[in-house]
Amino acid sequence: MPVPPALAGYLASRMLRRETYEHVRGLRFADAGHGYDPFGLHPAFVAMGLGLTRFFYEKYFRVISSGAEHIPDSGGAILAGNHSGTIPVDGMMLWTDVVRQSDPPRVPRAVADYFVPMLPVIGTLFARGGVVAGSRGNVRQLLDAGNLMMIFPEGVPGIGKNFRDRYKLRPFRVGHAELAIRHRVPVIPVGIIGPEEQMPQIARIEGFNMFGVPYIPITLSPLPLPVRYHIHYGPPIPLHKDYRRNQADDPDVVAEAASRVQAAVQKLIDDGLKQRQGVFR
Amino acid sequence: MSSVLVTGASSTIGERLIRSLLDNTSIDHVLAVGFEPFERALPFAQSNRLTYVQVDMARSRQIRGLLFGPARDLGVETIFHTALVDNAGGTGKRVHKINVESTRQILELAERHPTIRKLVYRSFAEVYQIQADLPALIEEDHRLNLASGAPQWIRDRVEADLTVCAAMGLSRLRIVVLRCAEVLAQGCGSQLFDYLESPICLRPGGYNPMINVLSVPDLVKAMELAHSSTVQGVFNIPGKDILPLSTSILKWGRMGLPVPSNWLTPIYAWRRKTRGHDFRFGMNRRRFTYSGILDGTRAKKVLGYTPDTGIDWPLPISEAWGPGWKG
Repeated sequence: MPVPPALAGYLASRMLRRETYEHVRGLRFADAGHGYDPFGLHPAFVAMGLGLTRFFYEKYFRVISSGAEHIPDSGGAILAGNHSGTIPVDGMMLWTDVVRQSDPPRVPRAVADYFVPMLPVIGTLFARGGVVAGSRGNVRQLLDAGNLMMIFPEGVPGIGKNFRDRYKLRPFRVGHAELAIRHRVPVIPVGIIGPEEQMPQIARIEGFNMFGVPYIPITLSPLPLPVRYHIHYGPPIPLHKDYRRNQADDPDVVAEAASRVQAAVQKLIDDGLKQRQGVFR
Repeated sequence: MSSVLVTGASSTIGERLIRSLLDNTSIDHVLAVGFEPFERALPFAQSNRLTYVQVDMARSRQIRGLLFGPARDLGVETIFHTALVDNAGGTGKRVHKINVESTRQILELAERHPTIRKLVYRSFAEVYQIQADLPALIEEDHRLNLASGAPQWIRDRVEADLTVCAAMGLSRLRIVVLRCAEVLAQGCGSQLFDYLESPICLRPGGYNPMINVLSVPDLVKAMELAHSSTVQGVFNIPGKDILPLSTSILKWGRMGLPVPSNWLTPIYAWRRKTRGHDFRFGMNRRRFTYSGILDGTRAKKVLGYTPDTGIDWPLPISEAWGPGWKG
């Protein structure tokens, strides 16, 4: 049976602290008429999602974030962060952090690989929380509607990198920069410290294609370790001001813009690593 | 003042369109064309501005006779072409003639017709491909469903749509193609309507895609806007209701039961054979798994179309099952 929104809202009210619950009730979204947006997001499920992630956010990974004031109150923007950790817990923690820290609350629309909507149950739950499949059309439409997008430009190679390559960014794909220039939105760089050590990957089995999952990772730990997450938001990179819209078609310009974003994320990571007192602290 | 021709007059949509056109005083005369005898097709219609002609759209001679007979005599300027075989099980040459060849012939004949200037063609959202790696919000340049294994119901619709689109800009006709969301009403060939006829609606477990359904009044409004507009092009016509499949089942007063997806094709095949229903799960597998909502931005900008009449859902869902969230 599907979870009715009222039940999701009730569960959220039981799982969240009063102030967090009241905070998330201020969420604004484009209701298509039946309480859902056209992509399937429902605010009650966002609240329930916050409830479900609360333990991990507050107790397990003990997330500390800084620079959330850089998240714009309204209008389109792209959050571009580093991606790591073997399983995408970093995406979940960033999503939670943005909803909690932004005021008024905003739901970052995470762009998932296309296999995510193919996953039974998970695909639907993610859609209710605002996740969309990573097609160009979806992102374009959401940006045009003034949404906050959450993109990991490293893609799967970022999350699947070996432990010895931790905190070395994989080459950024350029799609996010092209979108920012074309749709006139800023890019907010995000450095996430912690997930690289949560589930050290030592090998992987390729050729596993059920539901489009690209591989099975072999890790030192069967479950994520309780590392501490540090999320650092950097000042917006005004690609929309530095480049003209028609430059979105110029591969050199787009590559340069993407490398600026990558450099900004790398700097947030490097600074964050210097400040960090230990993997678990 | 202008005269119009409506094919598919004996269908629910044709009938409602004709009613609306008769209410429009700027329309001089309505030439209604249907397969059924007049008494069964349009029993309501008593107007000296209406002429009904019984035509078999599978017969090219009859179409020729229609266009260069009554249509020319009445000075028809616009054709609303809605005639199609609704039954998803309909296959074969005759069905293809009605679905595709009649459209091709109308285009050809209208090219040298003395009075016809415009064709409004009702197409379908089903011409679009729905899959996980394609946008969930479908624009007009979305990938079409050209799968070789698609049933004739789909292939005919895609072929007819492409036939009309191919003439656009090259013909002296102004052509408007309206790719309409599924009309959730009886007698409209709606697969979803047939699906919701069962007290228990089985759906693929683990998936709950967003669907979009259109009401008959909104479809009629879109067709009239296309008639009054001076532009030509392809336009998505979404409906007002965008909701998860599970919610539509509940709002229809049915019980939804998730089951493994690969059980559904044989179960619904058995239902067709034993109960005479028309719903085919294989034909709807993708849209019962992944979201596919028509983006009506172009229709809004160019035609001024916005959906404003929702489906008359049998059950107002209580707060426990409805949005249940007041932000």
